[in-house]
Amino acid sequence: MWNLILKDIRLQKNALFTLLPALFIYLFSGLSVTWVGIVFCIVIIMDVFSKDEKSSSNILWNALPYTRKEIVSSKYIGALIFTTLILLTILAGNWIIHQEFIQWEQIILVTSVVIFFTSFAFPFAYVFKIQYIVNASLVLLVLYLFTVSTFIPDLNDRIRGFVQTIIGLDDIFLQLIVILSAAVLYFLSWLLSIWLYNRKVF
Amino acid sequence: MENVIELNKVTKAFEGFKLENLSMTVKKGFITGFIGGNGAGKSTTIKLIMNLLQPDRGDISLFGLDYKNHEKEIKQRIGFVFDNNIFYENSTLLEMKNMIKRAYVNWDDKVFNQYIEKFALPLKKKIKTFSKGMMMKASLAIALSHHAELIIMDEPTSGLDPTFRRELLDILHDLIQDGERTIFFSTHITTDLDRIADYITFIHQGQHIFSKEYYKIEEEYAIVKGELELLDRDTEREFIGIRKSDYGFEALTANKEHTAELFGDTAILEKPTLEDIMLYTKKEREAYVESYS
Repeated sequence: MWNLILKDIRLQKNALFTLLPALFIYLFSGLSVTWVGIVFCIVIIMDVFSKDEKSSSNILWNALPYTRKEIVSSKYIGALIFTTLILLTILAGNWIIHQEFIQWEQIILVTSVVIFFTSFAFPFAYVFKIQYIVNASLVLLVLYLFTVSTFIPDLNDRIRGFVQTIIGLDDIFLQLIVILSAAVLYFLSWLLSIWLYNRKVF
Repeated sequence: MENVIELNKVTKAFEGFKLENLSMTVKKGFITGFIGGNGAGKSTTIKLIMNLLQPDRGDISLFGLDYKNHEKEIKQRIGFVFDNNIFYENSTLLEMKNMIKRAYVNWDDKVFNQYIEKFALPLKKKIKTFSKGMMMKASLAIALSHHAELIIMDEPTSGLDPTFRRELLDILHDLIQDGERTIFFSTHITTDLDRIADYITFIHQGQHIFSKEYYKIEEEYAIVKGELELLDRDTEREFIGIRKSDYGFEALTANKEHTAELFGDTAILEKPTLEDIMLYTKKEREAYVESYS
């Protein structure tokens, strides 16, 4: 199974080489570290996933001596590895550019959001194509903008406030709850994806 | 004789297609040609054999092992070639090899390089620039580089030029000379099989028609030609299918000896091609369906 993860890293090599320097530029421009981290993690994780979406790739990896369980698990473990890679780059970048370490709470927030997103996106992508997720995201974005303009004009501020509250949480207990619930959700999503992928016809 | 592949009453249903109660075996150390028209269920059967699909009912075993308990062990011993490209189009053959070789315990770079040289394949060009023939050669080089005991191929000769088809058949022939390897391949170009197949397995509309040694087909089947007067209700029963014209009839029998006795010198018996057998069987089945619908 480690070979499958290694294969994803190899395939992603070029994208990583172009995206990681771009990450530096974003950090340099002073954008929110949390925001940049979340976007980069999700883009890379879903890009890795989409490379194996074609039925021909599924045929290849399933015909090789791997089980379906391993193929799914490699994506879940791989997502965590890519998240770690990006967070490490951000950590290094932030230190080089701003001579400061990012907050521990920001790392938890980025990881939790990425894990929550992946937990929903992967099982969904095993049933539908990633294009549907992109479409669904666009619809959500339009709905969000519509909500902001019509019903809750200060939604952006509220979300910003909410994020600040979470980051500002000193309560180790609450942080633990966030981490644990993300972990449980990820694990359940993992099991669901194995179940779904076992039933998939290429 | 040892069976490498065994399918026992396998059923798999899709919308509009059903593989029903398929039982067949593939013998170790031989080349088995898998024939049937388009949509007969060849690719579905191959996918079932490769565990890319699971049967609704029935058992499948390879090397005497089942996929439930020995999936990786079985797949280690199989080399596969599919008729379409299953490699990443934007990767090079070298990159593909490096990704795939890690999956196999017995991968042999020396053998791989020999095939690359033999097939004159570029290692550093992207797969998407490969022609159909190059793609097939690349798949074959990968399939043959981990000392697989069973080579499974889905339509490997389709879309290939005659020279390379001939070359491929020679390679396959050389591969089984030690008696340890088994080759199972589907094709609708039946003339490929005249050259190399030891056994033929024929399926039609999801049903197994026969698995026979190639030479037995020639012994048992014959094309019969004669005048229409020879035909009556009894003699027509002798045939799998009949084509009538103003000048006479042409029919296929699966009981050559008996037919020869029955007609004596009045009819001509000729050696059938696999295509004849496929054609008449199709006609027979369609007539059967019509008469019962």
